[in-house]
Amino acid sequence: MSDLTRRDLLGTAIRGSVLAAMGGGALFLVRKAHGQILWQVDAARCINSRLGEVGVEACSLCTTECVVALSAVRAVNEYSKCGRCNICPAYFNITSPVNELGQPSEKLCPRDAILRKPIGKVDPEDPANNFYEYLIDEAKCDGCGKCVLKCKEPLGLGSIVLKVRYDLCVNCNRCAISEKCPKDALRQLSVGQALG
Amino acid sequence: MQYRQVQTIGGMFNSALRGLATDKQGLLYAAGDSQIKVFDAAGHLKRRWATARPAHSVAVADDGSVYVGQEGQIEIFDGVPWRNPELLGRVTAIGFTKDSVLAADSVGRVIRRFGRTGKFLNNIGADNPVKGFLIPNGVLDFAVDAQGLIHAANPGKHRVERYSPAGELLGHIGRFDGNDPAGFTGCCNPTNVAVSDRIYVTEKAVPRAKAYDFDGNLLAVIAVAHASACRAGTHAGACPEAVFDPNVKNMSIAAGLQGRVYVVDTVKLAILAFEPVAS
Repeated sequence: MSDLTRRDLLGTAIRGSVLAAMGGGALFLVRKAHGQILWQVDAARCINSRLGEVGVEACSLCTTECVVALSAVRAVNEYSKCGRCNICPAYFNITSPVNELGQPSEKLCPRDAILRKPIGKVDPEDPANNFYEYLIDEAKCDGCGKCVLKCKEPLGLGSIVLKVRYDLCVNCNRCAISEKCPKDALRQLSVGQALG
Repeated sequence: MQYRQVQTIGGMFNSALRGLATDKQGLLYAAGDSQIKVFDAAGHLKRRWATARPAHSVAVADDGSVYVGQEGQIEIFDGVPWRNPELLGRVTAIGFTKDSVLAADSVGRVIRRFGRTGKFLNNIGADNPVKGFLIPNGVLDFAVDAQGLIHAANPGKHRVERYSPAGELLGHIGRFDGNDPAGFTGCCNPTNVAVSDRIYVTEKAVPRAKAYDFDGNLLAVIAVAHASACRAGTHAGACPEAVFDPNVKNMSIAAGLQGRVYVVDTVKLAILAFEPVAS
């Protein structure tokens, strides 16, 4: 009698676990179908933005692996963190020759997707006497991550990060970028987490 | 001209090591955590005491008084602290002229000049279109030379600017260059400065310490983190070994006796001492 009871209990537990897993999976699918589960780049994991990585090349898997044309990932400048520098290492190729203005002669972005605008009136005698705003043209940006790597501390302030744009992302069940990302930086988040 | 590393003082701070200063006897004062620690030339700890708030900077006056920069105040040992959250947002450097005390307020992005009793006199570095120094790194650093002139790092402009105590901009050294070691690279360098018979600076990304004459000519790359900091060209063959953690920034620097230079590695929480090599 006690053996049967134990077997019954075990069976019930297993059936319960399976049902719970199916229920969880179904709930996940329902939430995903309703756009409540989203893919997002974890900046603390992304090789282009995670601190402590030095001497690495920019990772462009978000550009090459995304199934969306031009990629659903974009570089985003968080203005509250931006230093508004005169010479921004994410905008300029800082190792290019210095021009007559005392600035690097080349831009960093291969698609010229970053715009540099002076804030206020430029001091004509000393252009360094200014703050500059850096805007990312998302129609051009393909999320290659080059600017993100150069904006990272300690070279920059880490204001530019990669983000999945939800109006572009088709929300694949198995994100092609996440399949290849060596740092597991593409994460599925609830809407609340993604926007938080 | 070359320098060699002669000493490392490590293991003395737990979470932060921010400011350095030397006195006339050559003692080294280090500000970090919520402590001041004093070392002799051999690197031995001679004294230590706690500060009321986390210490961001330290300086020693001619009379031996120790001024410690903190958030909202300057603590004086032994004396009454100067509390003024509006003018002393975060004091990341302190210096002295003959009749005044200078405090770098990194929140206000200017240097505040006070009388010896703490009466505010004037700002230095505020009279420009950006209303202060360009310090994306959050640290404003300066040093005072033997003539009483103020040499302030303005990293956003890639310069060390020279001011009178009254706040008049007298000139500057430095320029941007991402290749030539004589220039300052990145978005915002140099971050820190010290002065004796030379101008010493530190930079971040790539981290290095350098010495200049007062005309802005590079005398030496004292130390680096990467060999790439000394590219082929001006200093090929004379580049020092890599000693700094590559992720350091805001490395405080102080000039000691007989050409010795102290530099903080803010990641390793260590003080590195360098001396010029006799040619």
